[in-house]
Amino acid sequence: MADPKPALESLPLKAHAASLNFHYGTFQALKKIDMPIYDKRVTALIGPSGCGKSTFLRCFNRMHDLYPGNRYEGEIRLHPDNVNLLDRAVDPIEVRMRLSMVFQKPNPFPKTIFENIAYGLRVRGLNKRAVLEEKVEEALRGAALWNEVKDRLHEQAFNLSGGQQQRLCIARALATEPEILLFDEPTSALDPIATASIEELIAELKQKVTILIVTHNMQQAARVSDFTAYMYLGELIEFGWTDDIFIKPKNPQTEAYITGRFG
Amino acid sequence: MALQTAAEIRALIARHKRWDVIFGVIGILCLSIGLLTFATLFVDMLIDGYARLRPEFFTEFPSRRAGQAGILSAWIGTIMVMLVTAAVAVPLGVAAGIYLEEYAPSNWMTHVIEINISNLAGVPSIVYGLLALGLFVYQFGLGQSVATAGLTLALLILPVVIVATREAIRAIPGAIREAAYALGATKWQVVQGHILPYSTGGILTGVIIGMARAIGETAPIITVGALTFIAFLPPSPIKAEPPFISFEWLMSPFTVMPIQIFNWTSRPDPAFQANAAAAGFILVFMTLAMNGLAIWLRYRIRRNIKW
Amino acid sequence: MPHSEHLSKQYDSDLEDIRSRVLQMGGLVESQILAAIECFGTGNYDLMAQVTDTDRRVNSYEVEIDDACTHVIAKRQPAASDLRLIMAVSKIVTDLERTGDEAEKIARMAKNIYDRGRLQIPRSADVRHAGQLAVAMLRRVLDAMARLDAGEAERIIAEDVAIDDEFRGIVRQLVTFVMEDPRTISTVLDIVWIAKAIERIGDHAKNIAEQVIYIVHGTDVRHTAREDHGEPDGAPQ
Repeated sequence: MADPKPALESLPLKAHAASLNFHYGTFQALKKIDMPIYDKRVTALIGPSGCGKSTFLRCFNRMHDLYPGNRYEGEIRLHPDNVNLLDRAVDPIEVRMRLSMVFQKPNPFPKTIFENIAYGLRVRGLNKRAVLEEKVEEALRGAALWNEVKDRLHEQAFNLSGGQQQRLCIARALATEPEILLFDEPTSALDPIATASIEELIAELKQKVTILIVTHNMQQAARVSDFTAYMYLGELIEFGWTDDIFIKPKNPQTEAYITGRFG
Repeated sequence: MALQTAAEIRALIARHKRWDVIFGVIGILCLSIGLLTFATLFVDMLIDGYARLRPEFFTEFPSRRAGQAGILSAWIGTIMVMLVTAAVAVPLGVAAGIYLEEYAPSNWMTHVIEINISNLAGVPSIVYGLLALGLFVYQFGLGQSVATAGLTLALLILPVVIVATREAIRAIPGAIREAAYALGATKWQVVQGHILPYSTGGILTGVIIGMARAIGETAPIITVGALTFIAFLPPSPIKAEPPFISFEWLMSPFTVMPIQIFNWTSRPDPAFQANAAAAGFILVFMTLAMNGLAIWLRYRIRRNIKW
Repeated sequence: MPHSEHLSKQYDSDLEDIRSRVLQMGGLVESQILAAIECFGTGNYDLMAQVTDTDRRVNSYEVEIDDACTHVIAKRQPAASDLRLIMAVSKIVTDLERTGDEAEKIARMAKNIYDRGRLQIPRSADVRHAGQLAVAMLRRVLDAMARLDAGEAERIIAEDVAIDDEFRGIVRQLVTFVMEDPRTISTVLDIVWIAKAIERIGDHAKNIAEQVIYIVHGTDVRHTAREDHGEPDGAPQ
């Protein structure tokens, strides 16, 4: 018998999207999305390619601001201070300092392992060697990579294996102690063993940080997340406890996608 | 059930592979035409000028007597002009390239500028010479000096440097850039911490290839008025008394290698032809050395940059 | 609920195969019970052997279907309605197999009774009536499963009470019978066993009905009070 699930109203929120619309030029990629992100929980975004799940994720740290012609409407509120991340008055750099992102393909900088992790701290003006060393070690331990790399911190990061590189990217994201960790299909370029280690890591990380993860792999969503959101054509079709989504989804569209009847 | 038998498939493959062989041969022929021509020229110059390739050749000024003439003023002039060219073209070109790639908004103005930069690379060098004559020599009053020549050649290679910079920056994967931005870096932090370090190899290669082109340019240098016969050196940039560094050399008259060669080849005395061949050999060698340096630098820097 | 087809046709045919084999197994068990009740009514010894024989086939159905379910889980990682179908089927086949065992028990008891040579069987009609009720219940629940009719499944669960009442009524009357003529005690005990087996068949049918509701709505109605069997909020129709 599974643990009884607490009532949703009783869970603390970390963020919520309200009437979020997003446009790439004239194309509306996200349509009126309302969704809670619960504190210290893993929320998975699933859906077929082009459903807008990555677009949604990249709204959280305003990555869309890097490219011209993108437009947000509505809000993503970060709790507890209730700031609207999408507000024009809020600098996207401030948002990116508060939320970290791990990308689809491991993308370490062509620098040493140490410098990869220290970079986010240096951006924040932390330059004292002792402080950097302490934070780098802490981040590497957090990403379950310390034991593998502690003797070669000053080697080039690209000498690591794919799975290690991705954990390095997670460490890089952790070093700045983010409020939310955003994962954009973090294992799509990894083999099953590296994938398992990343999933294991996600399960540990949620003790400390709120996680939002986009994945193509439904089984992965089922394994790592507490909540699952199914998106289709820019709309949020269903959001709920992962158990419910995978055992008894309420919406027939979700059902069709989950059971592989999509299309 | 098979469409073709194994024997038929083998015959088919053999037939197809014949074309590989034929094209391979054609390719080697085409390649040899270029390479052989160049090698013949190079060896011919070496043979003609071999007798003159002695240390004194580098330390003597030009002379009326072919046997005593050297290229001292020419190679020093070339190096000084190149220094000015690099000092002007590199910061301007790299900054312009970075601006276009990282900062410029994507609008019609930017597109017009981009197209024009590509076009500039195709403008004949004599036109740059005419521009420089009007602008630097008369308008700015720089005269027929090292500075004028350096600035002229800098203009000439600026489009090459800009294009090389942009290509080098574009070679950086978007994911790396996004990773840096996602950590909360500003544009300048990204440029300084990532874009510049990762594109240095490509930029250097572009700069050196541009310089290798500039080193052999004759037309614009003649247009701005390099001397064809010069028996003194520009003032030394380093002085014995404070402030130790002097920029007088910038305003000095000068000559450069290609002009020296041009001068010698136009002499009726065949002895000067040997001088011209020797100097030509050295000029080609300088160019090849610069290209070699570019390859080596690229290799050195790329060894530490992978994605 | 299995609305449209899977992207994988093979997956569809795997699931369809499992579903139809469960129905075949159900049909077999149904005929087995009917035969057992017939034995009880007529003392047809050939039929009794046939009931035992059928039970072997029922058992092998159970093993095959369970195996097919394991394969689907391993290969397809079923989710949502597919997952619920597979999980429910693996429980349904257990219930069906036990129902088969009950039928065999009925046939065995009938043989005992006829071996003893007692042709006068008390309450025979009542027992056969209860048996018909149980068979009807089983048939309807298999039907409900085929049509994924949760409403019918709920009615079936409610009707299980009727069989339980029949059973208690039969036992009460048999008790008075024994009190009048203690020599009938062995026969009466056999009849009680048969009635109990019929009552168990009703229970199994009820369990299957609960699984049908689980397949359709994803709500587990086992061990819950009757009133809670309703649909979850906003369930698709």
